[in-house]
Amino acid sequence: MGAEAGDELTLLYQWSGSEEERLNEILKPLVDACGIVLKPESTRDQALLDTKVQAGTPPDVAFWNVAQLVQYEDMLKPMDTLGAHGENYADFFKDPGTVNGKWLGLPVKADIKTIIWYSPVVFEVKGYTVPTTWQELETLVDEMVANGDIPWSMGMESGDATGWTGTDFVQDIMLVQQGPDYVLGLISGDIPFNDAGVKQAWETYGKWATDPIYTIGGAQGTLSTGFLDAIYKVFSDPPEAMMVKQSGFAGGEVASQYPELQYGTDYDFFAVPGAQGLQGGADWLMAFNDSPAVQALIAYLSSTEGGAAWAKASFDLSPNVGAAGNYVDPALVKKGEALATTSGFTPDIGDTIPGGFGSAEFKAISDYVNGADLDAILDSLAAVQAEALQ
Amino acid sequence: MPNNIPGIMKQKKFTPWMYLLPALIVMATFIAYPAFNTFYLSLRNSSNTDWATAACSAAGNCWGIFENFRYALTSTIMQTAFINNIKWIILMVSGTVALGLLIAVLADRVKYEPVAKAIIFMPMAISFVGAGVIWKFMYNFNAGDVQIGLLNSIVLTLGGNPISWLTEPQINTIALIVVGVWMWTGFCMTILAAALKNVSEEILEAARVDGANEWRVFWEIMVPQILPTITVVVTTMIINVLKIFDIVYVMTGGNYGTEVIANRMYTEMYANYNPGRASAIAVVLIAVIIPAMIFNIRRFREQEETR
Repeated sequence: MGAEAGDELTLLYQWSGSEEERLNEILKPLVDACGIVLKPESTRDQALLDTKVQAGTPPDVAFWNVAQLVQYEDMLKPMDTLGAHGENYADFFKDPGTVNGKWLGLPVKADIKTIIWYSPVVFEVKGYTVPTTWQELETLVDEMVANGDIPWSMGMESGDATGWTGTDFVQDIMLVQQGPDYVLGLISGDIPFNDAGVKQAWETYGKWATDPIYTIGGAQGTLSTGFLDAIYKVFSDPPEAMMVKQSGFAGGEVASQYPELQYGTDYDFFAVPGAQGLQGGADWLMAFNDSPAVQALIAYLSSTEGGAAWAKASFDLSPNVGAAGNYVDPALVKKGEALATTSGFTPDIGDTIPGGFGSAEFKAISDYVNGADLDAILDSLAAVQAEALQ
Repeated sequence: MPNNIPGIMKQKKFTPWMYLLPALIVMATFIAYPAFNTFYLSLRNSSNTDWATAACSAAGNCWGIFENFRYALTSTIMQTAFINNIKWIILMVSGTVALGLLIAVLADRVKYEPVAKAIIFMPMAISFVGAGVIWKFMYNFNAGDVQIGLLNSIVLTLGGNPISWLTEPQINTIALIVVGVWMWTGFCMTILAAALKNVSEEILEAARVDGANEWRVFWEIMVPQILPTITVVVTTMIINVLKIFDIVYVMTGGNYGTEVIANRMYTEMYANYNPGRASAIAVVLIAVIIPAMIFNIRRFREQEETR
C-alpha cells in the first residue's frame, strides 16, 4: 500500500467509550499489518471540526455527517483516487456521498430508520399482530385505541435538535404514501416542500402526534418527552404505549435501560409496513489528506474484509457488501438482512439538504405539533428549501 | 532645567505610545480585528466565497450586499427573537432590579444579613448551563401520571392539571425569564446594597425625626441618592439580557417560540454553517447594545465627576 510503519494518521470522530473500542477492534488488523500509528480525537462538537478545517489543520480523516461532504467539497480528496473499492457499495450508498460528480464520502456505518419497535410478548398477550400493510397498521392503531391502549410513544424532545424523531416519522410516511423517488425529488428540489404529498404525510403524522388517545400525553407529551424516554415507555412494566417508531439504535437503548429484557421476545422491530425502500443515516468517512496511511485505511475499510470486520465488531450496520452474513448480534442480523435486500436507501431529507434546512425542518415540526398553521409552515419550509438548493 | 539628563529619559512625542503599545496590540488583535472581520463576514455568503449578493434568491426581495441583514432584520424567526428579547428586557431587568433592591433594603435591617445575602447571591456561582439543567427538572412535565417536576407535583397536589411549562407558548418564555431573574437578582442586590450603605445615616435619621415613614424615606431619600447606581445596574442588566443565550439553549433550544437573538446567532453559525448570517446577527446585536453601553459609560463618567 505504501504506508510505512510509524506513519501517523489523525482521525476525528464522534464515537467514544465502547463505540471507540469497536472501531479500534475493526482497525486492529490494519494497524498490526502496516504499523500505522492512529492519532484519534473524539468529540461531538461540530465546531471543533469546523475550526480545524478553517485553521488549515484538518484531521487526515474525519468520520462525520453527509452535510460536511457538501460543506468541505473543495477540500476533500475523492474516494476513487484513494483506492476505495467502489464495487463493494450499492449505488444508493454512493450517491448521497457524491457531490457534483465527485465521490467524496465512504459510508462506513449505517443505521436504518424505517422500523417500528414493539414488544412481541405484549402483542401476544393483547392479541395484536404485526401489520404487513399501512392499512393494517392503521387498523391496528384503531384497535389499540378501542382496547384502551395508547398505540404510539412519539416523544421528540432532544435539546436544540428537538423534532428529528418527528421528521424521521414523516419521511417514513412519505416512503409509504409517495415512494423513494418523491423523497429524492424533495432533496433535489424538484418537488417543493409545500407540495400536496408533503402536506398529506404531515397530516397523517399530526393526527397521531397531537392526540392523547394516539400518543402519550398528546401534543405536549410529544413535545416535552425526551426521545430516549419515548423508547423506554414502550418497554416499561406496564407499558405506557404499544409502539415506537425509532431508528435501529433504539434496540441498544432498550438493552441498556432494561438489561433483563430479551431481544426477539421482549423487544423486537418490524419494518414500517408498506414503505418502499428504507430511510437511513450513515456516518461518512471523508479524507482531507491523500497520504499512504489514509489510502491504506480507505482501501482496508472499503474491502470485503473491512466490511466483514465491521459486521463482526457489532458496530451497527456496514453498507459494505462484505458485511453480509458476518453479523453476530441477532438484532443486527435482522437489520443487516433488511439493509441487504432493500430496494432503495433514502438519506434523511434534513441531513442532506444543506444550508440550515435540517434545523428549520425540526423547528417546523415542533411548531406544527404545538398548533401552528400547517400551510404557513410548509410554505416557509419550501422557501428555505429553495434558498438552500438554488 | 539641567541638561545632564540622559536622552532616553526625556519624553518625546512617541513615548506615550510606547506605554500604550502592549494594550493597543491586545486590543487590536482581540477586539478590533474580530469586530471588523465579523462585519466583513456579514457581507459575505455562507461559505465566504463571494459577496452576499450571490445568496439572493431569484424570487423575492434582495438587499444586495446586505442580504444577510435582510434575514437578520426581517425573517419571521428573527422577529420572534426580537419580540422575545424585548420581553426578556422588560421582565428580567425590572424583576432583577426590583427584587435586588427590595432584598438589599430588607436585608439591611436584619441581624443575619450576610447569610441572607449569601443565599440570594449563590445562584451567581452556578454556571448558566447548570442552572438550566436544574430548572429543567423544576419545570419537568411528564405525559404519564407521575410528575417528577417540583412545579407540576405542586400543581397536581393542589388538584390542577400538570402544565408543560417549557413547550406551551406564552408560558414558556416567562418560565425561562424566571430562571434568569433567579440567577441575576443576587448581582443586582450586591451592588445596590453597597450603594445603600453609602446613604448617610444622618439624613435618614433627620427624616425619621421629622416624621417621615419608612415608605417615604425609601422613595424620597434612599432611591434618589442611589439613583446613579440603579441606572448603572439597569443598563448593565440590559446588556446582559440582550446577550442571553445559555438558559434558552439548554432549556428549550430556542424551540416552541422561545428563540432569542444570541441563540439564533449560534444556530446559524454552528447548526446551519452560515457564518454570513451569524455575523449579520452579531452586528445587529452589537448595534443594539452600543447605545446601552454609551449610556452606561456616560453615567459612569458623570458619577466620577461628582465625586
